[in-house]
Amino acid sequence: MAERKLLLEHAHDPAYATLDGYLAKGGYAGLKKALAGERQAVIDEIKASGLRGRGGAGFPTWIKWNGITKDKKGPHYLICNADEGEPGTFKDKQLLEQTPFLLVEGMTIAAWATQSDRGYVYIRGEFVDAARALRKAIDQAYAAGYLGKNIQGSGMDFDLYIHLGAGSYECGEESALMSSLMGERGMPRLKFPHVPLPTVAGLWEKPTIINNVETYSCAPFILANGGEEYAKLGASTKNSRGTKLFSVSGHVNKPGNYEIEFGTTLMELLDMAGGMKGGALKACVPGGSSVPIINAEDCGRAVLAYEEMSEVKSMVGSGGCMFLNEHTCIVSFIWRTSLFYANESCGKCTPCREGTKWMEQILRRIVMGNGQPGDVETLKEICSQIDGRSFCGLGDAAAWPVAAALRVFPEEFEFYIKHGRSMVTSGESVAMAPAWQQAVLA
Amino acid sequence: MAAAVSTETVNITVNDIELVVPKGELVVEAVKRLGLEIPIFCYHPRLKPVGMCRMCLVEVGFKQPDGTVRKMPKPQAGCTLPVSEGMAVYTDTDAVKRDRKGVLEFLLANHPLDCPICDRGGECPLQNNTLAYGPSTSRFVEMKRHLPKAYPLSQYVTLDLERCIQCGRCVRFTEEISGDSQLAFRFRGASMQPSTFQLTDFESKFSGNVIEICPVGALTSAKYRFRARPWDLQTSPGICTVTPCGTNIWFDHRSGKFVRVNGRTNEGVNEEWTCDRTKFGHDFYNAADRLATPFRRDGEAFNAASWSEASQAVLAAFADGGEGVAVLVSPTLSNESLFMTQRLVRDTFKTNNIDFRPSGGLAWSERLENKYGLDPVGGTIADLEHAGSILVFGASLADEQPMTFLRVRKAWFSHGARVVVAHEVATEADSFADVVLRYNPGSAAVVAAGLRQLLAKVEGKFTPEHVESVSGVPADKLRAAAASLGENGAVVTTRRLAKPAAEILAVAAHETGRTFLHMGPHANTEGAAALGALPDTLPGGVKAETAGLDTKGILDAAAAGKLKALWLVGVDAFSLGDRDLVSRALENVETLVVTDYRPTESAEYASWLLPLALPAEQDGTYTSSERRVQHMGAILQAPGEARAQWQVAQELAARSGAAPVFSTSEVRSLIDSVAPDYASLTMAKVIDGGELLPRRGQSPHDLEKLAQTLGGL
Ligand SMILES: Cc1cc2nc3c(=O)[nH]c(=O)nc-3n(C[C@H](O)[C@H](O)[C@H](O)COP(=O)(O)O)c2cc1C
Ligand code: SF4
Ligand code: SF4
Ligand code: SF4
Ligand code: FES
Repeated sequence: MAERKLLLEHAHDPAYATLDGYLAKGGYAGLKKALAGERQAVIDEIKASGLRGRGGAGFPTWIKWNGITKDKKGPHYLICNADEGEPGTFKDKQLLEQTPFLLVEGMTIAAWATQSDRGYVYIRGEFVDAARALRKAIDQAYAAGYLGKNIQGSGMDFDLYIHLGAGSYECGEESALMSSLMGERGMPRLKFPHVPLPTVAGLWEKPTIINNVETYSCAPFILANGGEEYAKLGASTKNSRGTKLFSVSGHVNKPGNYEIEFGTTLMELLDMAGGMKGGALKACVPGGSSVPIINAEDCGRAVLAYEEMSEVKSMVGSGGCMFLNEHTCIVSFIWRTSLFYANESCGKCTPCREGTKWMEQILRRIVMGNGQPGDVETLKEICSQIDGRSFCGLGDAAAWPVAAALRVFPEEFEFYIKHGRSMVTSGESVAMAPAWQQAVLA
Repeated sequence: MAAAVSTETVNITVNDIELVVPKGELVVEAVKRLGLEIPIFCYHPRLKPVGMCRMCLVEVGFKQPDGTVRKMPKPQAGCTLPVSEGMAVYTDTDAVKRDRKGVLEFLLANHPLDCPICDRGGECPLQNNTLAYGPSTSRFVEMKRHLPKAYPLSQYVTLDLERCIQCGRCVRFTEEISGDSQLAFRFRGASMQPSTFQLTDFESKFSGNVIEICPVGALTSAKYRFRARPWDLQTSPGICTVTPCGTNIWFDHRSGKFVRVNGRTNEGVNEEWTCDRTKFGHDFYNAADRLATPFRRDGEAFNAASWSEASQAVLAAFADGGEGVAVLVSPTLSNESLFMTQRLVRDTFKTNNIDFRPSGGLAWSERLENKYGLDPVGGTIADLEHAGSILVFGASLADEQPMTFLRVRKAWFSHGARVVVAHEVATEADSFADVVLRYNPGSAAVVAAGLRQLLAKVEGKFTPEHVESVSGVPADKLRAAAASLGENGAVVTTRRLAKPAAEILAVAAHETGRTFLHMGPHANTEGAAALGALPDTLPGGVKAETAGLDTKGILDAAAAGKLKALWLVGVDAFSLGDRDLVSRALENVETLVVTDYRPTESAEYASWLLPLALPAEQDGTYTSSERRVQHMGAILQAPGEARAQWQVAQELAARSGAAPVFSTSEVRSLIDSVAPDYASLTMAKVIDGGELLPRRGQSPHDLEKLAQTLGGL
């Protein structure tokens, strides 16, 4: 299968980031249809489309939207998660920079469906260009009556705000994002069933929807063309509909974002990205750094869709797809990954705060040639003590890649521990490490 | 606290045992009903649950229609999970045990385990949980984290960052309870640490509490650090006598020496908290210059003397002294001491010249209870918790009534009470006040009259505009304050507020059905007033036939050479203000007797210096600012021959022919015979949590008198 561009169709046309350019390509048809009908009809279309959250968890979007009370008593909020901190993922950045109106229209549709008064787009702090592009789009939308009071004469009011994050991966976790947005430390909050769902009591304890940039950006197409039309895409899969952006990186010839229909195979995606560079395929982390790594053999049978990916014990995740060639040292790679999670742990809960640090210390010791017998068992134990025991998903996300690497490439760890050096001797592996780390490795 | 616990109940099972519990109760609390305990670190029943430490993970499932239990895929934190119908909790499965081991292993990985030199050793939840649930060995071979070991957060509190387990209790305390938000977490991940902001001091009036709620030895008392190991300490229940709140404390001591104070739970008074005055303000027990024997002045020198000589000398100077003698007593003495002293003064010295009030006070007929028949203290600290609105008037509660402050804050924080603060200066309570009324010095009464007019919906000259012109409080603010106070609630003020304002507020509270608290400043102000340590009032509040001199009158008379003898009991006259007047007064009396626990400045003028036993060194009862009578037994031995004042007073009386009194319980019987309020108390209750003096029950007030007061403004 080839690329299937719904969102990225006009991405490379700079005019598409302006209101005029967007309207010229049929923009805002979705909102018009939505406003002409019942609110519930929007949710029904989203349900028919089979749209699932693109932020990582793949939760059915319509259930969230439908969870907002229809009996509005106070403010309802809409949040767009544009924190995009998962290593390997850079799709939201492109959407914000090149197709900002898809997001603005998508959120406006969601606001209509859920009677929301305000939306906040929480953008990763480093995404300055993206924030500027969205700012321009929002300003133009206000000027033309697509945001603000009485949108397009419908009587609906909706304000959209941008908030820049301050550089914490954890602030992409939805409840930590809300803490951050409310001016608190970026730590996650209690979740259902410990407290009500965010759709009941989210931001400032008010009904709140939070979705990823890509999720909202799908809504205009779905409304304009109908949910059923959207659901035709990915029909070959069990329960994944539409298209998905994959950010392809690593040892490939043409890294970048590729929009594919669900059901496309991983190898087709690799082909789109120009195939492997510098050596044969060894492994792939298909959905962002937190999803389990898979070996070349599994890559060969991996089908890109939510349920299908679990057959190779991995996930679609956020679509950050990293291909690794045969010269990659998995041990160093995993150490680097675990260093990221140890650095990004917010510190709230014991398993993640202490466990991520401990794993990183052990992996660092192994990489420095001081591995000891028993290290692999200890690492496995630590993973199982974090997984499912931590307060939020970051702990799980830190444990999965390590556990998977130990499962899929045990011989590399054994070799490294036994010989004090990597099984993969090429300089390529060292080149993966940042400059400061190379000094440590030397 | 997470979910409101309701009166509805739900059926759950804990380890397959069926149980009916209130809906919404947290799992950690619910299992206690079976005598089970889930280990915890971060959970504290008085703080919002956060689920940080993961020590309390349990397995949770739900009963299915077919009777089987479907377990949730992940273990759940019992400290944050409210129970719901059909829930099945497992606290003891292999999986739960494994999870606990895992969490403890993580916590210990970087823990210094310097238990032998840790102040917490022996009373450490981390030690205890490790013993009960932890791994026996550590697999951690990496470098342990090294961080500052004795970082001073303030003059009172020291932080050992290596021992911290990042449970957030201290941070949450300052956010939720004291409200000063002095602590926060800095950095993240394994580097996360509690800290003050930009390394400023931990500026709080309640900082000592974090030492007690810290589940490890990370927060320690700068004073207590390394002073003793917990198992060497003896502890006894006591009452704080340095504040007016009647805070319940544990009085820790070793070999007869005071060591430290910890909060003791009394839901009605301090819950479990202390203020820093209570926590760190008891060191005077160990003062190096404690008096241990009576001293007689011989020329320039003081020479030790016997009590017998001293008693004779005091009697010689005071007995039948009438108008020519006077006694000033401290309102921190016990009910028994105050009562026996006034009895001695009246029966043996034949005078009414006795006062406990540092600076004047109201005459008998001007006091609320006599003028209007209103209770000056018509409610309790605990009543405030559920008052829908609270007016705090003319008081800096955090300083003056620390436990009342915490309760007012709790009413706001936990129950959404609306708080209005009116004062000349900024106070802590401003931070959570709905409306703050800042009035010009001296205009309190006008503001009070303005508020009364709005609340009681009466006509008069104190319109918001008039109030604004006098007090500087914008008219709109006054209206907003009245609106915020609504139809009912409570009014809190202190004796520091000058007379007309307090009187107007008392009447206004009565007119609008509000609880009124007019709180006194010392540990036993209420007892002193009720038991006759006043020139115009006898025990039981009975008006004296002829009034004696009050504090000011006594000092004036002494300075004018009209007093032959003056006795200062626990009072340093120089603390009463006007130093010039005091030194003239002390110079001009023939005989000055000073009774105190250490030599004060006044003692330099004394003919006799008598050693006083401190409250924890004697049996006694105290009447706190909410008029709660509480008991403290003799915990320590008084140094040498230091005596409780009631004993001294009884000996003098006995020497003049009165029937001897041998114990405080005999004194209490005497009190009961003349003070019906006290007679109504049951000693068992006084000992166990304290008992409130009966409220008067408000009789109709006399608006004529109020009109006069208002007219005088
Ligand atoms: C540690 C962590 C980081 C996350 N970061 C992001 C992120 O950067 N962007 C995002 O959209 N979702 C992120 N998520 C997922 C969000 O919590 C949430 O599931 C998502 O925003 C929901 O939107 P969706 O339903 O549209 O996917 C993260 C989750 C975790 C646990
Ligand atoms: S798992 Fe725990 S420490 Fe890690 S980010 Fe989430 S809450 Fe913070
Ligand atoms: S905090 Fe507890 S476990 Fe830690 S050193 Fe002190 S006594 Fe030992
Ligand atoms: S200092 Fe004590 S109370 Fe504060 S976070 Fe650390 S362990 Fe918890
Ligand atoms: S006690 Fe429940 S998580 Fe700390």
